[in-house]
Amino acid sequence: MDFVPIMSTLKRHKTAAALIALEIALSCAIVANAVFVIRERLDRMSQPSGIVVTELIQIELEGIGRAGSEPSTRDEDMAALRAIPGVRSVAATNQVPYGMSSWNTSVNLEPDQMQPILNGASFYGSEDLLETLGLRLVSGRGLEPDEYQQYEALVERGAEGAVPSVVITASMAGRLFPDGDAVGRTVYVWSDQPTRIVGVVEHLQRPGDYFGPSDREYSMLLPVTAPMEYGDRYVLRVDPERREEILAGAVDALLEIEPDRIVSEESTTTIEQLREEFFQQDRAMAWLLVAVCVALLAVTAAGIVGLASFWVQQRSRQIGVRRAVGATRGQILRYFQTENFLLATIGIVLGMALAYAINALLMERYELARLPWQFLPIGAVTVWLLGQLAVLGPALRASAVPPAVATRSV
Amino acid sequence: MLRYYFSLALRSFRRSRVLTALMVLAIALGIGSSMTTLTVFHVLSGDPLPGKSDKLYYPQLDAESMVGYVPGQEPQNQLTRFDAEALLAAGRADRQALLTAGRVAVEPQSAEPAPFHADTRYTSADFFPMFDVPFRFGQGWSGVEDERRARVVVISEALNDRLFGGENSVGRTLRLDQIDFRIVGVLDHWRPHVRFYDLTAIDRFGGAEEIFLPFSTSRDLGLSRSGSITCWDSTGTDPTGLNAPCVWMQFWVQLDSPRKAHEYRTFLENYSEEQRAAGRFERPTNVRLRNLTEWLDHNRVVPSDVRLQTWLAFGFLAVCLLNTIGLLLAKFMRRSGEIGVRRALGAARRTIFFQFIVEAGVVGVAGGLLGLGLALLGLWTVRQQPASYAQLAEIDGLMLATTLVLALAASLLAGVLPAWRACQVTPAIQLKSQ
Amino acid sequence: MLHMQNISKVYRTELVETHALRNFDIHVREGEFLAVTGPSGSGKTTFLNIAGLLEEITSGTYRLDGEEVQSLNDNQRSRLRNEKIGFIFQGFNLIPDLNLFDNVDVPLRYRRMPAAERRRRIETALERVGLASRMRHYPAELSGGQQQRAAIARALAGEPRLLLADEPTGNLDSQMAREVLELLEDINAQGATIVMVTHDQELAARAQRNVHIVDGQPSDLELGPVPLVRPAAELRQV
Repeated sequence: MDFVPIMSTLKRHKTAAALIALEIALSCAIVANAVFVIRERLDRMSQPSGIVVTELIQIELEGIGRAGSEPSTRDEDMAALRAIPGVRSVAATNQVPYGMSSWNTSVNLEPDQMQPILNGASFYGSEDLLETLGLRLVSGRGLEPDEYQQYEALVERGAEGAVPSVVITASMAGRLFPDGDAVGRTVYVWSDQPTRIVGVVEHLQRPGDYFGPSDREYSMLLPVTAPMEYGDRYVLRVDPERREEILAGAVDALLEIEPDRIVSEESTTTIEQLREEFFQQDRAMAWLLVAVCVALLAVTAAGIVGLASFWVQQRSRQIGVRRAVGATRGQILRYFQTENFLLATIGIVLGMALAYAINALLMERYELARLPWQFLPIGAVTVWLLGQLAVLGPALRASAVPPAVATRSV
Repeated sequence: MLRYYFSLALRSFRRSRVLTALMVLAIALGIGSSMTTLTVFHVLSGDPLPGKSDKLYYPQLDAESMVGYVPGQEPQNQLTRFDAEALLAAGRADRQALLTAGRVAVEPQSAEPAPFHADTRYTSADFFPMFDVPFRFGQGWSGVEDERRARVVVISEALNDRLFGGENSVGRTLRLDQIDFRIVGVLDHWRPHVRFYDLTAIDRFGGAEEIFLPFSTSRDLGLSRSGSITCWDSTGTDPTGLNAPCVWMQFWVQLDSPRKAHEYRTFLENYSEEQRAAGRFERPTNVRLRNLTEWLDHNRVVPSDVRLQTWLAFGFLAVCLLNTIGLLLAKFMRRSGEIGVRRALGAARRTIFFQFIVEAGVVGVAGGLLGLGLALLGLWTVRQQPASYAQLAEIDGLMLATTLVLALAASLLAGVLPAWRACQVTPAIQLKSQ
Repeated sequence: MLHMQNISKVYRTELVETHALRNFDIHVREGEFLAVTGPSGSGKTTFLNIAGLLEEITSGTYRLDGEEVQSLNDNQRSRLRNEKIGFIFQGFNLIPDLNLFDNVDVPLRYRRMPAAERRRRIETALERVGLASRMRHYPAELSGGQQQRAAIARALAGEPRLLLADEPTGNLDSQMAREVLELLEDINAQGATIVMVTHDQELAARAQRNVHIVDGQPSDLELGPVPLVRPAAELRQV
């Protein structure tokens, strides 16, 4: 098929051709960016948390008139929880991944450092926390029971208070010691006293949603009990099948030990539920974007069908003449298909430039990453296919125009 | 004449039903989606205190140590307890209040409902008049009660309904964290769309707290606090102590004239200098005094997803309009024969232009009405979303009018080019088929 | 009625200039029935377009009913077309979307005329061409002759002083052609000026005056007497 006669026809219908090309360009640009945002959201949702999400439940209680329980009550609580059938492991903690409350502290390599290296989430709790969360130790060891100190007592000691050991994530280790093994090295995370890194875990996502992607796994476990000021929080590793049943039984068991406590309903749930809620907004946004993309493509396809139908009708006599002088149905069909291909190509070229412009704007305003070039061929092929699909109906109608039309008067 | 154009437009729609339906649908989709997101945007970005938002100011001081100092950096978004209490005591503004979030256990006197935790606001007397908080029964407490650390409390309409069946509970006792408080006021319905007075919370759109009591009392009784707290020196004792190096207080002032605002800024600078001289502040003076509007803006109150959605919807509307322009053009030019004859029979260019712009306008109104329906549907869908701002997504009169105006303006705009092209058709004595 | 003096019409494209009319002079008196003949491409249609104010002249003077028209703007020209000129075309040019009533209504709509007056005129015009019973029919439902008579009714409804006809019988068989011609003669008899372009010598022979255009130049042909008036009753036999 030669392009020259098609181009000259398009030139005679400049406005309509320009409009459809512009429409293709705009929807192409929007779809490329929307798909990119969707992928980003999906990526976010699929990042590792490091914990055994489906096996965990969390219970949060607050006393009336005083928030948390005494250490002895907590020990009693945990013993009772361990006794529930189906419970594999129990730990106290101050926070969990996908939770909204978070404890963060700056991490330094020198005492009195003026510009902290990073800000990391500090997990306090009890000695079984690492095992209960299901973290994977990649080097060193976990925290020992005799290393644990009570938070309140430690705060009381002021500048003298020291935390001897810490377990950090591989992500944090990489940031602190890019050159090699972190185990055995010293960091400053509590007043100006040194703390030795005793172990590194593979992953542990920090709670909350306020930190950028690079800081997502800056977490550490400290041998400090969960502060009493914020109530009691327990995390249980259980048989996934029996989570609901254990949740109800566990609350009853705890209230039997100390009834003067209020169970926080929104926090006492499975970690899977917390995760669900944590990503709800992302999921809603992704679906919305999918819907908009579909609607956009549908409208664009409708525009192509409308305009192509008009052109076919407008040129039916011309088509009849072509048929009369020997054009085959296939040639007429291909004429309109080629025409659409040309328009789509113009639209795509414009659209790609526009896609990058929109992306630049989004990068500036919404901290979006740069649009990877791989999206361009995907977008182009989608639009080409869409255009061909849309034009097929009108083009078939054109090819069905009988040659006799040519001889019909007016 | 307009009626004639209308009847011609309807005739033309009847002739090409599919094309017309397509155009109406495209406009409706574009209008529906952009009005849905625009309404959410409008609700979230609305002024929470119309007429007063330029008189309320949020002072910021840089009380941190030199650790992590970057010159000119934005100071912390809250104040230390020391500074908040000092500014309150100075009383240099027309009104001022300090505030922070807390949680207390509520023990109803009857067996039902069971004890529960309620979000609480610890604040001072001016909070209520300064933010125009409406009362159903009683009133707020006074500065005297702040000083006396009185055990008084103001409760929300919802809590009053829940505990006292909506009766006037002023003077009755409410037991919080095992301590008896006297109810002095019950709020009327008060649902600021954004909790503008404390933007540090994770959920800014969840509405106001259920319980309000004096901050001084809360410290006296050691009630538990909640919300964001930032400390720059962990070697202290209690982070909520008077001298703790921690920021966890919000502070608001009402300054009724720009001159007063200017004076207050000077006062803040002097205060900061004094604190530096006294050795409490280490950093150079770095104060901020934004009014409510600026503060909301600075904190990007409208979630970025909502903004992104608004842009997206308008992009979609643009595509729908391009689509409509193309289809209208095709539709009008298909009738160039008719136009030529009409011109020959004495229709002026202007007349033809109006005939076709009316046709475009009718498409727009139909699309707008359908779009309004889609927007209502869209907002209903938004309200089913989990985000706490979602339940606020209700259309109001202004947005209703905006929808129709936008639809009409959009379709007229879409109609201009095709109608202009139509009226350029030369008068002709042949109805050409090609 | 129609005075053209020294008219030139030049069509310019990027490549060529075509002189459709050159120093064209013609004067048509009030009440005349003028036939214009000439070979293809001689400028007949251009002359008619200019006479009907559908095209502007390149140079010269054109006075219609005493009014200089080349200085008029588009709106004024439209009004003049609407009020003084009726068109009858070879292709009938009825608007397919409108029924006969609405088609005849079109020129009246562009005047400020009360609805009752419009209705009266439309009905009278359709009555006159014998289509009163068909006023709710659409053009596609009518024969060629009926369509042309409807087009004539549309031209008559505006009560024009000048009727321009371009091959009015070109698409009709001889029986229908005769009916249409008789209708035109009738209208002429009642005072309207008619200018008819045709290449049919027989048809032209029935006009009062014949003008032959060759290469954009008109020349009058001498004619013998022709029977002009027919009994009105004969018109309505369809």
